[in-house]
Amino acid sequence: MALIGRVKGPGPSRHSFSVVAFDQHTALDSGEFVTCPIAGRPVLARLVERRPLRPYPDSFLTAPELEPQHIAAAVGYSELQPPPVELVAELIGAFDPALQDFINPRRLPEVGAPVSLAGHDQLSRLLNRRQPGQPGAAHLGWLLSREPGAVPVVLDVAALTSTHLAIIASTGAGKSYLAGVLVEELLGPHNRAAILLLDPHGEYGSLAALTGQPHQPEVAVHQPGSLKIRTGSLSLADLRYLLPDLSERMEYVLGQAYRQCRRGDGWSLAGLRQAIAAMAEPEAGKKSSSYRETANALLWRLNAVFEDTLLFDDHAPLQLRELVRPGQATILQLNDIQRRQQQVLVAALLRQLYRARLQTTQRTISSRSPLYLPYPVFVLIEEAHHFAPAGEEVVSGGILKQILGEGRKFGLGVGLISQRPGKLAADVLSQCNTTCLLRIINPVDQQKVRESVESVGQELLRELPALSKGHRRGGSQHPAPVPGATPPNAPSGAGHRRPRGLAGILWTKNVATFWPEIVTTTASPSAISNLAVVLFDDNHSYSESSNCRLTWFGCQDTEPLS
Amino acid sequence: MAALGKLLRSTGHVDYLGQIYGPGEVDQPPRPAEYALGTFVQLPLATSPEMALVGVIGDTLLLSPAFGALGPRLTPEVDLALFAPDYVNEKAVLVAILALGTLDANGQADQSLPALAALTDTEFEPLSAARLLAFHTAGRGLRLAYAARLLALDNPLALALLRLIIHQLRQLPLTADQLAVLAVLRTQLAWQQQVRPFGAE
Repeated sequence: MALIGRVKGPGPSRHSFSVVAFDQHTALDSGEFVTCPIAGRPVLARLVERRPLRPYPDSFLTAPELEPQHIAAAVGYSELQPPPVELVAELIGAFDPALQDFINPRRLPEVGAPVSLAGHDQLSRLLNRRQPGQPGAAHLGWLLSREPGAVPVVLDVAALTSTHLAIIASTGAGKSYLAGVLVEELLGPHNRAAILLLDPHGEYGSLAALTGQPHQPEVAVHQPGSLKIRTGSLSLADLRYLLPDLSERMEYVLGQAYRQCRRGDGWSLAGLRQAIAAMAEPEAGKKSSSYRETANALLWRLNAVFEDTLLFDDHAPLQLRELVRPGQATILQLNDIQRRQQQVLVAALLRQLYRARLQTTQRTISSRSPLYLPYPVFVLIEEAHHFAPAGEEVVSGGILKQILGEGRKFGLGVGLISQRPGKLAADVLSQCNTTCLLRIINPVDQQKVRESVESVGQELLRELPALSKGHRRGGSQHPAPVPGATPPNAPSGAGHRRPRGLAGILWTKNVATFWPEIVTTTASPSAISNLAVVLFDDNHSYSESSNCRLTWFGCQDTEPLS
Repeated sequence: MAALGKLLRSTGHVDYLGQIYGPGEVDQPPRPAEYALGTFVQLPLATSPEMALVGVIGDTLLLSPAFGALGPRLTPEVDLALFAPDYVNEKAVLVAILALGTLDANGQADQSLPALAALTDTEFEPLSAARLLAFHTAGRGLRLAYAARLLALDNPLALALLRLIIHQLRQLPLTADQLAVLAVLRTQLAWQQQVRPFGAE
């Protein structure tokens, strides 16, 4: 392990400490993992801050054509050593093999204690419960602060699928790509999971390219209309949701007709129409029915919804064991379908899966039952905020929350993918024990993540707006939150994209203007130019050389990743 | 080694003023390089003959009777040696010597504040390289325990003086660890002296 510095003293927070690093050119990025001894045991810590210890006077930085060390040399300071840097590290703890978790030592390292960079192998062992390729391992990428291939980031599939997953990111940040990587890993020969992917925008069709690879995973893509839900599986609540804004009389007629036509486990649309039409008929001894107009209007509404539907059919028994199978990803593309119909479809599917797993696990059905489903199922839901939105009752919300709360017992896991966590129902995100956070810019969404994902530290959250495409922060099932990058050679769920740099604009405020401005630095070692964005001006006096606070915004790759 | 001069007075327990021998006082008066700023000297202690004070030249003063004599003289400047030889001898070079510790004949060093003071007229001579090494490394690794005391003196040259001392010590046969200690101190002092006055932290 490379010695990188020594402990200076306590840090700004209770569980942090300052380190004076020997060499500022050492790659000690924010998020890097270090170890130092406390009471004779090596304790893992994570770097969260870095600042130079001897910054040059401001005036040395005002000549555009001169580097400050040239000016320092002119006044007699010609030391070749770069100024030292101070790092702030937050304690994670000492790993306890018995508990398989980190134990906080509840004390800080002694002043002067050596601080070392955690070794690749050590980190790999500490951060991952499984190693790539092992049964039950999902290899999502590599630790961002180390070179590609050095420290894998591996999720435990059992924990992931049983205690649920969330992938949260702004649009374009790489969440579909990450989901694609995850699906590929789950389908691998060491896992052979049964996956159902609900795809409202039809963007995961490219996963079909996995079929035919050496381990022969299967990917079944269902276009809108190629898979139908039996109408008999819809509940009265589903029907009401598909027929919004019914009058009280219509609600009454619908409820009566539904109860009349329901036989045993289901009902048919034809039967429902018949029952409604019957209510339009005159009652015995009367010239006309008091519900004739209401029933006719309801029939008209019913036909308008169900005549052209691509999703529901009286004679389409859903074979769950064909829909989801081990080693197969089933993608339901829901584009071109109305939002409400999408929600009803998802509700009906989740309900059936839940019942199937519940009854199979409890052995209340035989293996000949169409509901018999003798293996766990993992359901990935893209645009999850459509199916469990905050502050709005939708038909899919209830069953989704039920699965998040109880699905673990029956081997039914859910992965939620969303670009708007702020629009997700409050108790949905917090139920996901594994969270992958990519770049999130919206402050409301950041706040929602802050409230919902307990294991994410404030320092990690501060980094969310500055993450690049494909860079993510992992929470929960990893003993320590880890920053990672998806492997560049993995097929993407959204078109085999490769993670690239990004550019963007925030806001600046300087002496005369309030225009967005991007500045670049050329201090990076290669031909990469770092884009920095002036957020706001710190200096109230606006002198010629104002102090500006810069936020790293990312790097523009000059070459495609290979 | 030949004596450089003798003590005239002290301005404090560790601040001495000595006069460098001039022409006529010794066969070979010392050259200016021999009493340059930062030169280590030793002064025998009359009360403990085996013990010597170790000091460093921390300042230089020039004395001339012409200073303050604003009126004309009858003897031209070039004839002074002939008509007033004693006048020439009144010109002097004074050096301030800061006592840093003690060193005995066996090379045992003590860098704490010396309890014993030197007497007037004590001759001082340069410290040899071997004795300089002994004073700074005697048995316990590199030591500059006097550094903080030196910096605390009311002497505007103290920082530069310490840098000169470090520069001299780097010429001695030191171990890599000892040189690393000096490198850290050198960088810190250079920053403190050269950059901090311009407003750096």
